[in-house]
Amino acid sequence: MKMKLKINRLKKFRERCGMTQEKLAERAGVTRQTIISIENNRYVPSLPLALKFAKIFKCRVEDIFKT
Amino acid sequence: MKEKTKTKIMGISTMCFFIAGITLNHFNIGVNFPVFSSLGNWLIYAGFVELIMVAARLTLGKKLKRETDERMEFVATKALRITFLSFIALAFVIMIIDGIKTITMPYSIFVSYLVCFMLVIYFISYRVLLRFY
Repeated sequence: MKMKLKINRLKKFRERCGMTQEKLAERAGVTRQTIISIENNRYVPSLPLALKFAKIFKCRVEDIFKT
Repeated sequence: MKEKTKTKIMGISTMCFFIAGITLNHFNIGVNFPVFSSLGNWLIYAGFVELIMVAARLTLGKKLKRETDERMEFVATKALRITFLSFIALAFVIMIIDGIKTITMPYSIFVSYLVCFMLVIYFISYRVLLRFY
């Protein structure tokens, strides 16, 4: 069964930090397309990537994503 | 694996292809092979193709390096699964076709077509899946 995220605040966090998708992608070490997919809830990021986002935004993973 | 190590391995295998091809041709082993007349000529051809790849890696370097991430790997895995399933389905179809009318195509040509078919299926499924993930 395909997993879906109930809460996905990546876009909110990104915009709050004044980051572009390109900049976030560069810092997380992924492509811009991946950021777009995650923001649109089409792709569920892996744990290492979610932890990277948490580190970038200086928050917990649960603050950004919730299942 | 580091890029330099990869290039080194490719360079060594290119040399192996050339040496094996020349040796086979010298001792007349594997003659009457389809298209390239002997197995040695096939190996030399493969060696040249790999030599071009090594030269491209050495000269173009970073330009050739493509950016990949976990989403692409995820999609690639899914595309591989689809390719594998379609390969199994195709095997059944070929069995049925062979039962109705015997396939008289040489094995080498048949396998070449099969590899091309799988490559096409993989490429299409990868492109389509990229749109969904």
